[in-house]
Amino acid sequence: MTLDSDEALAAGVVPAQLHSLLNYSMITGVMITSNQTGILALGKTLSATIGKGAGDPVQLNGVIYSVSGVYLTNSWMDYSVIIPHVVAQQMIGMVNGTSMIVATAQDSRNVDNVIGQIRTLMPTVEAFRSSETPSKVSPIFASLESIASDITAIVTLGAVLGIMNSNLNNLRERMRAFAIFKATGATYNQIIKLVLYESLLLGTLGTLIGLGISYAVLQFISIPIVQNVSVAIILVPSTFLYAALLAFSVSFLASIYPALKIARVRPQEVFRFG
Amino acid sequence: MAEEPVLRTDELNKTYWNGPEKTVALDGINLEIRKGELLAVYGPSGSGKTTLLFLLGGFDKPTSGRILLDGIEISNMDEYRLSRIRRSNVGFVFQNYNLVEDLSVQENVSLTMMFEGKTEKEMKERTAELLDKVGLVGKERHRPSQLSAGEQQRVAIARALANRPRLVLMDEPTGNLDQDNSRAIMQLVTNIIRADGVTFIIATHNLEIVQETPSRLFLKAGQIATDLISHS
Repeated sequence: MTLDSDEALAAGVVPAQLHSLLNYSMITGVMITSNQTGILALGKTLSATIGKGAGDPVQLNGVIYSVSGVYLTNSWMDYSVIIPHVVAQQMIGMVNGTSMIVATAQDSRNVDNVIGQIRTLMPTVEAFRSSETPSKVSPIFASLESIASDITAIVTLGAVLGIMNSNLNNLRERMRAFAIFKATGATYNQIIKLVLYESLLLGTLGTLIGLGISYAVLQFISIPIVQNVSVAIILVPSTFLYAALLAFSVSFLASIYPALKIARVRPQEVFRFG
Repeated sequence: MAEEPVLRTDELNKTYWNGPEKTVALDGINLEIRKGELLAVYGPSGSGKTTLLFLLGGFDKPTSGRILLDGIEISNMDEYRLSRIRRSNVGFVFQNYNLVEDLSVQENVSLTMMFEGKTEKEMKERTAELLDKVGLVGKERHRPSQLSAGEQQRVAIARALANRPRLVLMDEPTGNLDQDNSRAIMQLVTNIIRADGVTFIIATHNLEIVQETPSRLFLKAGQIATDLISHS
C-alpha cells in the first residue's frame, strides 16, 4: 500500500489478538486498540524511513490516518504498518473476507506439522512460517535471501580454505618452535591443543572485530523490499550469535588440518635439515 | 651390588634407506653409563654421534637393538610415552641452542615444566633456581636474541635440567662458542654433575673437552672404535 509517497507492507490485525500473534514493544505512543478507522501503528524502521512518529498524520492509500504509536518487533514487521483488520478488508475490497490467517502454535516444534496438515487439507492455500513472510510478499526479498544464502556458503568455504592455507603457512614458518616444543616433551595432543587454542583466540578476536565492522557498515545499508521502499537491516542478538558461531566454526575447521600436520613434526629432522 | 646403570644399550643399530641405497648410521653400539658420569662421544662428521644422541633421547627409534633408561626399555615405546620420557627423564642441549625466539629466558626454561603440567608457582621457583645455577639471574625477561651465544647455551642447559632429568644429552654444546665460553660451559656441567648427580653424554668435535673427560666413546662409521686419545 502507499504510505505517504512510499509503498509499505500493511498488516490488518484484530487488535485484541495482537499480543498472541506478535511479540512487540512500543517505542512511542500506543498500539491500535480497536477496529476504529483513522489510526494505525508504524514499525520502528518504517517510522524512521518516512520520518513520522506517534501523533503524526500519514496518508495510507490516499486516506489520512493518525499514527497511534511506533512498535518494535526486531523482525521484518518493523518495516510494516499495522491497521485494524476491518480497515484492511475494506481497503482491498474483501469486506468480511480473509486473505491471510495467522496461527500461533503453542509448541513451536509442531509448526511444520501444522503447515503440512494445512497444505494437505487446503491445497490451494499457501501455508508458511511467519519468518518466510517477507520473501513470500516480496520477490526482491526472496531473491536477496537466496543470493545471501549462496554468498554465505561461498564465503564460508572460501574462508575455511583461505584461513587453513594461512594457518599452514604460518605454522610452517614456526616449524622450528614446534619442533622445540616436541623436543622438550610436548605430546602430539598438546601440540594440537596449542594450535587450536591459538586459532580460537585469533578467531574470537577476528569475530569481535568483524561483528563490530559489520554493525557499523550495516547502519548505512538498506534493501529495497518493495518498489520505492528501501528498508534498513535490523540486527538482532540472534544475528550476532549465528555470525559468531559461524566464525568460530570456520576458525576451528580451518585449524584442524594444520594442527594435525604440525603435531607430526619430527624434531630430529627439523634440527638437522631445517 | 653395583648400581643399575642410568643408560644401557644392547647391540644398537640404525639404518637409513634412501630408495635402494642403504646407509648404516650405527652398528652394534653397546654402552653403559652410570649416575653422575660424564661421557664424551667423539668422532668425525657422519660417524653417527648425533644419530646416537637422538636415539638415546627418544627422538628416533633404532632399527634393532635395545635402549634401557633406568632399566626401562624405551626403544619400543610409542610416541606418546617417548614424549613423556623426553619431558621428564632426559634433557637435551643442542649445538644451536634451539631456544624459542618469541619467548623470554624465563618462558624458555619453563617450557618443559609447562608441558609436564607444573603450577605457575612451581615453574617460577624452579626457573629462578636454575637461572641462579647457570648464572643468568637478572636476565629472566630477556629474549634469546638479546643474549650472547654462551648465555643462550646456559639457558638451554637450564631448560634441559628443568624437570630434574637423570640424563642430559648435549649435541656439540660448544660448537658455536669461543674457548672461554666453552670452558665455562664445561665447568658448569661439571658443577651440575657434582651437585645433582646428573649423568651427561656429550657429542663433540672439541678435543679439549674429550681429553679432559675420563669416559669417552670414539665413533667411526657408526661403530665404536679404539679410543685414539691417551689419558692425560
